[in-house]
Amino acid sequence: MVRYSSVFKDESKLDINYVPQHLLHRKMQLNLLTQFFRFAVENPGRMTQRALILGNIGTGKTVLSQRFGLNITKEAQERKINLNYVHINCRECRGSLFIIIQRTIMKFIPNFPRRGYSAEELLQALMQILDDRGAYLILALDELESLIQNEGSDPLYNLSRIQEDRIDSPKRLSLICILRQPEHLEGLDPSTRSTLQRNIIRLEDYSEAQLEEILDTRVNLAFNEGTVSTQTLMQIAELGKTEKGNARYSIELLWRAGKYADASELREVTPECVRNAVASVYPVVRKDTLPELSLHQKLFLLGVARHFKQNDSSYVSMGEAEEEYSLVCEEYNEKTRGHTQLWKYVKLLSAAGIIDTLVSGVGQQGKTTLIGLPRVPAIDLEQELVNILSREGRTT
Amino acid sequence: MAIEEVFSSKGRVKILRILSEIGELNISEIARRAGLNYATTNQHLILLEKHKLIRHKTFGRIRIFRYNEENPRAILIRQLIENWE
Repeated sequence: MVRYSSVFKDESKLDINYVPQHLLHRKMQLNLLTQFFRFAVENPGRMTQRALILGNIGTGKTVLSQRFGLNITKEAQERKINLNYVHINCRECRGSLFIIIQRTIMKFIPNFPRRGYSAEELLQALMQILDDRGAYLILALDELESLIQNEGSDPLYNLSRIQEDRIDSPKRLSLICILRQPEHLEGLDPSTRSTLQRNIIRLEDYSEAQLEEILDTRVNLAFNEGTVSTQTLMQIAELGKTEKGNARYSIELLWRAGKYADASELREVTPECVRNAVASVYPVVRKDTLPELSLHQKLFLLGVARHFKQNDSSYVSMGEAEEEYSLVCEEYNEKTRGHTQLWKYVKLLSAAGIIDTLVSGVGQQGKTTLIGLPRVPAIDLEQELVNILSREGRTT
Repeated sequence: MAIEEVFSSKGRVKILRILSEIGELNISEIARRAGLNYATTNQHLILLEKHKLIRHKTFGRIRIFRYNEENPRAILIRQLIENWE
């Protein structure tokens, strides 16, 4: 009988949703965030706060906010204050304020009706629910660029204004906005922008040494002793550094390398396992990104990937991408979506960092959007999408 | 309200059971889960609320009904439902 043995002792410590007890190299930023929201446990209801967390992919924005949320709600609980921290990813909500507020409300009333109300009505309802329960809320809006791109300034303006309209009532709603590119703030109106920019926490890219330390901590938590050598760890940290100090990418590499070691029945994660892992994981094609796309977003992206697989160009025009998409729809027996819908997909995929877009200039007749695929080989993206579609039961 | 008034209606018992299990729901969802139409559900809810077995809160246009955890009779009915099942 073959005895199954694994290099892992607890692979959940490498999960994308794992929030470590102590954040390495982010202590100062965590303290700063705690200071901004100190009033929430000392004088709740007296004021409201907005903070902005900025940083590249994998610099710890999400985990910083979540660790802060866990810490502050624990302290509030000890002081018998009904303080809630709700973390919402705007991209997962397709950049819609309606879905964001709906998901927030459902943390309080899980069976709240899903349809029949506007975003503004839901926002009012949220405030009434908070009043009804004597609750305070810190709402963290992750990947905020998706909301700004989809709905512009209005949602943040409304979220800020809702407090100002309630002069005599306790202040119940505070915001943490998390985004990658500060350029997106330029899409906001000046007053909303200035209120957001009051408290900024910038997260610098991790250095190679910092990544090594982070990985070392995770290795101790997730792997059996002696299964990951220093050499392997340094190799992953170096790769993480080339991806702008992306800790999330490095941790995923570590996990995948461990999986390759298990699959090869090795007792140790070797550099070859890491090389295999590198070939299978690209930072933008993370395991949580592609499956979350809607069916037609996946089909559109598949069309784009196929274009780049067959053509040696840097960009594809919107028109050409639509043609490729029609062919993919035909293959999967799906009715094509209209141009406006596809245009929305392009904006969303661009906000998610999967594709790049630019407006055509000299040398191209008329004006069209050009789509680029800078971060992942088309052939791998195509394969990944086909696999996901097949797992979802979509066959050609 | 006499006890037979509560238990003589299948609809009212269904609503009490649903709310005691779920806690909070809006009227359309109660009607859907109980297999009743909106108007009938509304009538039952008015009666049950009149006798303090349930309560409601209005959030904008949205009415959310909840089981009245503080009413001794409601507590007894919940116990009965739990023991019955």
